Amino acid sequence: MTAAEAAPIVVEGVSKRYQTPSGAVTAVEEVSLTVRPGEFVSLLGPSGCGKSTVLLMIGGLVRPDAGRIVIEGEPSSGPNPKKVALAFQDPGLFPWRTALDNVGFGLELQGLPAARRREIALGLLEPMGLKGFEAKYPRELSGGMRQRVAIARALALDTPILLMDEPFGALDEQTRLLMGEWLVGVRRRTRRTIVFVTHSLQEAIALSDRIVVMTARPGRVKDVIEVPLPFPRDLGSPEVADLRAKLWGQVREESLRAMESSA
Amino acid sequence: MGRLAVLRWQALSVAVAFLAWEAAVRVGLLDPLFVPAPSMVLHALPSLAAEALPRLLDTFGTTALGYAIAAAVGVPAGLLLGSRRLLHDVAMPYVVALYGVPKILILPWIALVFGIGLSTAVLSAAVFAVFPIVVLVAAGARDVDPTLVTVAVSMGATRGQIGRKVLLPAVLPSVLTGLRIAMVFAILGVLLAEMLAGHRGMGYLMQRQAMAFKAPELFASTAIVSALSVSVVAVPLKKKQRLGQWR
Amino acid sequence: MKLWIGRAVVLVVALLAWEVAASMLNPILYVGPSRLPAALGRVLSVRYLPPLGSHLWLTLGEVVAAFLLAVASGLWVGFVLGLQKTLGRIYEPLLAVLYAVPSVIWYPSLMLFFGLGPASKIAFGFLLGFLPVTLSVLAGIRQVPESLVTVAVSMGAGPGAVFRKVMLPAMAGTLAGGLRTGLALSVVGVLVGEVLGARAGLGYVLTYAYGLLMTAEYAALVVIVAAAVLTVDALGALVEARVRRWAD
Repeated sequence: MTAAEAAPIVVEGVSKRYQTPSGAVTAVEEVSLTVRPGEFVSLLGPSGCGKSTVLLMIGGLVRPDAGRIVIEGEPSSGPNPKKVALAFQDPGLFPWRTALDNVGFGLELQGLPAARRREIALGLLEPMGLKGFEAKYPRELSGGMRQRVAIARALALDTPILLMDEPFGALDEQTRLLMGEWLVGVRRRTRRTIVFVTHSLQEAIALSDRIVVMTARPGRVKDVIEVPLPFPRDLGSPEVADLRAKLWGQVREESLRAMESSA
Repeated sequence: MGRLAVLRWQALSVAVAFLAWEAAVRVGLLDPLFVPAPSMVLHALPSLAAEALPRLLDTFGTTALGYAIAAAVGVPAGLLLGSRRLLHDVAMPYVVALYGVPKILILPWIALVFGIGLSTAVLSAAVFAVFPIVVLVAAGARDVDPTLVTVAVSMGATRGQIGRKVLLPAVLPSVLTGLRIAMVFAILGVLLAEMLAGHRGMGYLMQRQAMAFKAPELFASTAIVSALSVSVVAVPLKKKQRLGQWR
Repeated sequence: MKLWIGRAVVLVVALLAWEVAASMLNPILYVGPSRLPAALGRVLSVRYLPPLGSHLWLTLGEVVAAFLLAVASGLWVGFVLGLQKTLGRIYEPLLAVLYAVPSVIWYPSLMLFFGLGPASKIAFGFLLGFLPVTLSVLAGIRQVPESLVTVAVSMGAGPGAVFRKVMLPAMAGTLAGGLRTGLALSVVGVLVGEVLGARAGLGYVLTYAYGLLMTAEYAALVVIVAAAVLTVDALGALVEARVRRWAD
């Protein structure tokens, strides 16, 4: 296995600056990260720490001002639908398409015939518990269902890498927990590399192999914490409690800093 | 109050209104020279039909032509204006200003240049109908949810694919609304042109009936044109409801 | 800043194009912007045309009368239908049907009834302006948040107080919008009436010039009237914005 094959995502010293009416703002500063194949990495940090920006850069939707992103050995220059799929906090389902047609959208762009698209889409929706809902429109689905359809749409591209930007952020607590469990199951079955943005410690601990803690703006990597616990995780265990305490110490500092700077 | 009860009350109110109207004329409260009784209006209908039919076809045919032109020009213009931010911010105030100018003011000029006939009426319909189309389509194009576009871009959609598979369906409800509203404007434009200049269509007929104090015939004409206008607008409404189902 | 430059450029280009096109075509039919100021002078100097001043006042009077009538009746009908829910359910759809009818249909009947004088113009302007006012009252009432009313009632407010202190302020913005639209439509109604058949008023002067093929004067008049209408609407927009800011 060559070095390129070993690391699906390499983030090398990327920075991103934005121009706002009140001057230039550095959202992300010199962030470096290597993600191993099949790994679940969470980007954790307070609001505005640039974690979403890093994700969008990996996804090729935002160009870094400095540094570069390397996806499976190739420098990234834009959206990469063969290698990278994204799911956002807003499910972004096309309201005029049924769940089935939404899931098949990416495949449609690639020219797959309708029968094949239907087959793949149904195959993804069923294990998600959405069998029977494929002909429904987004407005007829609950928030959790919509998000599942959006994730199915990303999974349909069958990419080795999946990027998720707080996909469960808009859901209520119970649904969030259930979706988290479901995602763990999906990951076990599909062995994809996942980068997951969240500001919830709970979620990060429950889902990740590694947690990257980011500082408040300008976002830098504060710490990288391994979570070598087996799945499914017992969130009441002492290891988890230790981990949570350690994480909280780090994140709290940054959250306070973020709050002060915006006050 | 249930739907059926509402309908019954509506029908009852309309019936009572007509009866009261009839009674007022019979009793002498209303002068039949100016306000004919409903019975007189109904009486005038059959003889009116012979003259009205070709004129109705004329008016509504002209409307269709002008409307088609307005749609062909207005929809692309609206899409262009709505999707390009710079173009929108620069040009939209002018569009809105022109929309706010009563188009009746330039109708005499159109009649002067294009003569007393079909082209004036068609152009009038087009001018009246194009503005609501442009404004509504542009608004619809502006309001497209940016997340939808981001999703498509992240999946590697080309510009053409984004336009066809995301922007067009997202904009469709606004386009349909604009087209529907524009219909009334198109009919308005044609009638105005007919009343102002020319011998064609229902507009001219109604104007002439008014000048000749042929009140029953005038009221009958008014009723026919109103009924047809309402149905022309109502049919697309049904279609729109089916197409816009996902809303 | 760039925006204003862009808009100015568009205007200049449009005027230039208009001028160039007009100079290449029949001057009786096509009038370029360069001929307008002179024509305007002729219009105002009152030699070939009826005196503008008296016509302007007449049109203004007709607009004011039409608008006041539209507002008064529109508010009354709107509140009756809006506050009395059953009446509203029955009669509002009937009003909506009227909206689908091109308003000019009524004009010949109005001319027959009122003649060619100002009355028919006022009536038509009233007819056009009435509907937006009524509909805005209905819409305004509908969008008053239920929670506001509940709070007031729980504090012991009677129906009169609820109306005055909760509903009216909450719907002020929508109402202002409806009044502005009503004004714009009353203006259009009066102008249309004057153009289609009148013996006096701005619209009449317009058709007079057109009838005599005094195209340049006619164009100048169009520009003046258009500018006046836009100014009136701009004022209306200002008032509406002020009211909305106060209401929110």
